[in-house]
Amino acid sequence: MMNQEKEIQNTIDQLTILEPTPADAPRTAVQALARVRQEIDRREDNRLGNRLGRWVMANNRKYAFSTVLIALLFGVALSFPTVRAAASDFLGLFRVQKFAAISVSPEQIAILQQVAEEGLMPGEVEILQEPGELRPVDSLAQASEEIGIAHIRTLADLPEPDEIWVAEGGNGRFIVDLEGARAIVQATGADPMLLPDSLDGAQVDVTVFAGVQQQWDNGIMLLQTASPEVDYPDDVNPTVLGEALLQALGMNDDEAQRLAQNIDWTSTVLLPIPQDFASFNEVTVDGVSGLALNSISNEGSALFWQKEGIVYLLLGPNESASELVDLAGTLRN
Amino acid sequence: MDELSNSENLKGNQVTTLTDNLLLKRIEQGDIASFEAVFHQHYDRVYGLLFRLVGNRAEAEDLTQEVFLKLYNRAFRKRFFKPNREHNISAWLYRVATNAGYNAIRGRQRRWQRDTVLVPGPQGVPAAEKEVEKQEMETAVRAALAQIKPRQAQLLLMRQMDFSYAECAAACNVAPGSVGTLLARAAEAFRQAYGEEIGE
Repeated sequence: MMNQEKEIQNTIDQLTILEPTPADAPRTAVQALARVRQEIDRREDNRLGNRLGRWVMANNRKYAFSTVLIALLFGVALSFPTVRAAASDFLGLFRVQKFAAISVSPEQIAILQQVAEEGLMPGEVEILQEPGELRPVDSLAQASEEIGIAHIRTLADLPEPDEIWVAEGGNGRFIVDLEGARAIVQATGADPMLLPDSLDGAQVDVTVFAGVQQQWDNGIMLLQTASPEVDYPDDVNPTVLGEALLQALGMNDDEAQRLAQNIDWTSTVLLPIPQDFASFNEVTVDGVSGLALNSISNEGSALFWQKEGIVYLLLGPNESASELVDLAGTLRN
Repeated sequence: MDELSNSENLKGNQVTTLTDNLLLKRIEQGDIASFEAVFHQHYDRVYGLLFRLVGNRAEAEDLTQEVFLKLYNRAFRKRFFKPNREHNISAWLYRVATNAGYNAIRGRQRRWQRDTVLVPGPQGVPAAEKEVEKQEMETAVRAALAQIKPRQAQLLLMRQMDFSYAECAAACNVAPGSVGTLLARAAEAFRQAYGEEIGE
């Protein structure tokens, strides 16, 4: 027993070499706290959902649906490094051609959020070029010139958009750490061994392109951007990873296996939708197959679709999905 | 008086836990002073733990900031700190800090392996040699910590920072009675990893 205590003490003594010296002292707690508060404000300001939210909420409380939806899809998901890493991994399986949705229980969402918050990492993300922040422009012509999209489509039944925003694209790479990825999969209740050994160190390159967002005073918002480009190793089997993803989203093993076989993971974006937030169904929009989301609390709808390499998101805080489908039918260059 | 307030009259460890629940409840309600109180209470030690892991002031400060930002974000989402469960803020902070430190050093190791070309250092300057020797030892100790399980490293570092057995137990989510045994295993794992690092 004495020996054991002595060994522990020897190790503890050895670790004293790591103690910060006076030169390593951090800034004072007051200074550090001011920095934290500044960072909180900066992140709040920069969230796409919050930018839109301020605009939307100033007009009508019913527009909350738009805010929540956008925050869900863009703000929350990309705010945390772990989630961003997971998103890179997730995107690495796709070349976006169509959308599908899966309903996720609040309990499972809480588990996923907890995993993200506790800092488990499925690998290393390296952002080579940060996607630009949204900035306002005066016209669609200016938007077209600034971000290099030749034909920006707009809704012919509506007047000129009241606000137009653009953002540059970006790119990065994600290198899988199998141990971390398996730990996350396990923490979500899924089978970690679905992730094959060959995944360790796999590199996924992701490029997202510039986008344009048009907003009208009645709360309607249209976002369009070229499909992301994703390169991933040939020996990665997307169906097996899709099965792990489905399990991580709360699906039982048999269901996940069956559904994973029926999805083309090289071209389908799977959107996890909290079950207390929205219902969803497939629709024909703009002449192609798309996905419609309907707010559970009757606060609007949203459509996602891809046509000719361009991904579209159309939001309507007061519209039903079928009304949005009609509106999308008026899109013109 | 609500349930949480009543529980302030309880003794021992429960007081800490339930007081943490009250603090979280106030932070959820937008009480910045409560968040600041938590920050002031734990800032130095969270930084100290992270500095020991990463060995770099700027990086340790950034990671410390991230840890508190996570607490802030999490506390504002009421569904993640449920009032009917007991929470221990310090245990959560040191667990998250350890994970953040580990992620940082593992990321650094991967980058180092990928990008670094070794260049021989200056030779024959006694003062510099001593400094180099100390730096090499620090590097080896940190590398050894990175090789063992995060919980073991966390235990060793928390003990080195004079945390009590009860605090170590709470942070690592183990029974206080098992801390001694776990520390002994951690010390053994560290010794082996350190031996490998210095080529013994």
